[in-house]
Amino acid sequence: MTRLSDERALWLSRHVLPHEPALRAWLSKRRIPGLEVDDLVQETYARLIVLENVSAIINPRAYVFQTAYSILINHVRRSRVVSFQTMHDIDQLGVMADEATPEDTLIGRDELYRLQQAISALPGKIRDVFVLRRVKGLSQREVAKSLNLSESTVEKHMSRGFFLLMGAFSHGGNDDSRTSRAWGTKLRTTNARKDSQRD
Amino acid sequence: MPGKTASEIDAQAADWAARIDRAPLTETEQAALDAWLAEDMRHLGAYGRARAVAIHSERAAALGSGFRPSAPRPSRRGFLAGGAGMAASLAVATTGGLMYATRGEAYATHIGELKVVPLSDGSVVSLNTQSRIRVLYSHDKREIHLEDGEALFDVARDARPFVVRAGETKVLADATAFTVRHLDDQPVQVAVKRGAVSVTAGDKAPVRLLANMRAVETTPERIAVASVTPAEIDRGLAWREQRIAFEGETLGDAASEFRRYSDTRIVIDDPAIAREPITGLFQANDPVGFSQAVAASFGLKADVGDGEVRLHRAKPPT
Repeated sequence: MTRLSDERALWLSRHVLPHEPALRAWLSKRRIPGLEVDDLVQETYARLIVLENVSAIINPRAYVFQTAYSILINHVRRSRVVSFQTMHDIDQLGVMADEATPEDTLIGRDELYRLQQAISALPGKIRDVFVLRRVKGLSQREVAKSLNLSESTVEKHMSRGFFLLMGAFSHGGNDDSRTSRAWGTKLRTTNARKDSQRD
Repeated sequence: MPGKTASEIDAQAADWAARIDRAPLTETEQAALDAWLAEDMRHLGAYGRARAVAIHSERAAALGSGFRPSAPRPSRRGFLAGGAGMAASLAVATTGGLMYATRGEAYATHIGELKVVPLSDGSVVSLNTQSRIRVLYSHDKREIHLEDGEALFDVARDARPFVVRAGETKVLADATAFTVRHLDDQPVQVAVKRGAVSVTAGDKAPVRLLANMRAVETTPERIAVASVTPAEIDRGLAWREQRIAFEGETLGDAASEFRRYSDTRIVIDDPAIAREPITGLFQANDPVGFSQAVAASFGLKADVGDGEVRLHRAKPPT
């Protein structure tokens, strides 16, 4: 059974999350029919969690890209029809996985700015809860007391906040589409239907 | 793909991340999580992303009391004004040469606080708990005095040299990222995350430190250097996500490390307990939670009192 340690979660937050927008851009430029970028990214994270040890990974960005690449290759091998164009695109991915990381410095410099933007873009109550919890460092109980909410409501707001930030960070900035469907279960179902139609 | 969309899975993963963010999972909750993760590889991946985002968001603590949630979406300048009163101090700092003759601009954090200080040249200083710096920028040099505590310096390229002074230690850097630790009664330490620096102390000849090297001791008598793994450098920076990482340190050392971040003291009277090694990642501002986790794994008792938590051997049942 696989469990996720705090150490690995911290490693993911430092060495994978910052490269996610680039990874997504890279994957979506070479769309393989029937494969969703979101699913590939989730599977990439899963592979990085089941690794026994990550301390020997010197260049996490290259490792992340190579992992996504091998997942892609596996999917293509399993599919029956592979066009010449698809194979060509996959080869391109292989070449790009070794590219250096010129923006590493900038990632460090701008990350707090991006976090501030993402938090500011959260809808009202979610943002209030998030600020008390993360900026002021209050416990869930203290937040509940100070905003006169139940603890379970505070937890639901935190969950929504995480969900929205997951969207924001995956696109390297603001994901307005996800913000607008934050509370819209109906909207999300509509999207789900669209997804299934596409399949 | 059949079944749930990635977004629906993300929402469930975020629920779990929020649950674990509140407090450690109960056995029942852990079992439910294990079952959910085992259903689909994508669940595990989404959960990993959710936890990564939850941990990354801990860095928001550095936005400080000056961050107003009701404010409209901040501009670039808004970020620079992030810390309390930072707008005013930055306005002064950017006048550069005029500051030269004065004592410079000071920034400090109190116990348990984090602060990120953007400087006029694009460099960024992250201050850990109970730390104090003074920024002295002029037309021909960039100098920072780390008077107390610990800081990460993310240095922007510039024609002027970048110098950090901590006691008798002097660190000369180019475009690099490195930490300096200047704690009471301890030799100053320097660790390089990226790039290279030169370290001197007193009249000692400069010693070159490259990425993944640490000067474990810098005094006018001795500069002791060790190579470390990137993972060790990472562990030393866990404070940026409000965490403390231990890898075989004694419980006694862990207790004094926690003391830096919180007014609640961890008291260990039994020297045999204080010598026990500890490994793991812990919430820096929660010495009580840490003590309870330690008590559970070492078969000890943690008594929470006023301003302290006492770790001792559980009395055998009579």
